[in-house]
Amino acid sequence: MGVFVFLPLVLPLTAWPIARLAEQHLHPRTATRLLTGVAAVMALCSTVCLGLVMVVGTAQLPGNPLPDGWSDPEVRAAVPFDEVVGKAAIPALCAVVAACARTLWRHGRVRRRAHRALAGLPPTGVAVLPDDVPYAYALPGGRRDRVVVTTALLDRLEPAERRALFAHERAHLTARHHRFLLAVQLAARANPFLCPLRTAVSYTTERWADEEAARAVGSRRAVACAIGKAALLSRGTPLATLAGFAAPGPVPRRVAALLGPAPTARRWPSLFTSVGLAAWCAAAGTAVSAMSSANSAVTMVLILRAATPL
Amino acid sequence: MTDHRQRSGRRGQGELEALVLSALREADGPATAGWVQERLGGDLAYTTVITILTRLLAKGAVTRERAGRSFAWTPDSDQAGLAAHRMRKVLDGESDREAVLASFVTGLGPDDERLLRELLGDSGSEGEA
Repeated sequence: MGVFVFLPLVLPLTAWPIARLAEQHLHPRTATRLLTGVAAVMALCSTVCLGLVMVVGTAQLPGNPLPDGWSDPEVRAAVPFDEVVGKAAIPALCAVVAACARTLWRHGRVRRRAHRALAGLPPTGVAVLPDDVPYAYALPGGRRDRVVVTTALLDRLEPAERRALFAHERAHLTARHHRFLLAVQLAARANPFLCPLRTAVSYTTERWADEEAARAVGSRRAVACAIGKAALLSRGTPLATLAGFAAPGPVPRRVAALLGPAPTARRWPSLFTSVGLAAWCAAAGTAVSAMSSANSAVTMVLILRAATPL
Repeated sequence: MTDHRQRSGRRGQGELEALVLSALREADGPATAGWVQERLGGDLAYTTVITILTRLLAKGAVTRERAGRSFAWTPDSDQAGLAAHRMRKVLDGESDREAVLASFVTGLGPDDERLLRELLGDSGSEGEA
């Protein structure tokens, strides 16, 4: 197998240009689903690959619980630089598991605490909080889905913009956007090369909700104004980016997209456009990643079974 | 109220605070901790009521004044105000809350504000698309 065994670890690099092109050209709904799927498959493959490398590279270490046969010379021949890579894979795999567990735990904790903070309020779908800090967000919670918004934000919006705000947050809840976000977050923890996909999906879910809101309110401009006003109101909290970084942030891009025409939802773009090329590259990269790690896994299992004394 | 009284066992801190605050709001004027405890049907220990009132005081949800040997308590904010206070604490405590809660807008970068004003200003003259 040679170095191809490491392919799933670096293939996520193919996701970088894809994330960029998909978020610019695909319908936000398609882009969200595509990018989340790509991220999940690639993260899974890279973790499987890491596990295999660890098993092969470390089975010969004294005192480990794995059968000695698993690190016979012929098994180790399947993985290049088996000793170094195998030992390096142990902390890497531990780091992945710990980071994913921490992400899940934090996710649950924030949601639990936010719901607890709203205890005592009537169980309505919208919780309006009297606060002079303008913010709004969607709080998922099964049957207790809620939109949380402060009076500071609502008071500054026109009626149409308020409807746009609520439609946007409700779109987040009905389409279960938090699941997409959690999936790409876990993927980014499993393989840091997938971080651009996380950023891309958090942008495309917002765009998706913007488009749903524009459809519900019937005015793209009202949604654009609501976003613009809300962003200008809460500009006290600057985004943590590199100073002088010229690329416009997500908010102006969302507003610009809303001021333009509505995106068309094609099922699958043609190969002969840059978008189509990107989408097909993503699909191909994912397929190759999945196949190569499946190949590695099957080969490895066969070798290990042959080498295990029964 | 009745279903609160019947339910036994541990309750969340937020729920207890909401319970005590709503009882206090039913009083005609400043009320003592004993009155609140009675109003809640003796379900909570006197010290628990005092603890919760003190916590509400720290959150600015109630005020108190000395009345003889104890305190008389007055509600200062309603349930929504209390919830807003608690929510702010949750949000301030989480550095990466953006990752969990899909916020309506994220922060603006260095050039974003100018860009945003341009975008909204430009399209203002064109009217509805």
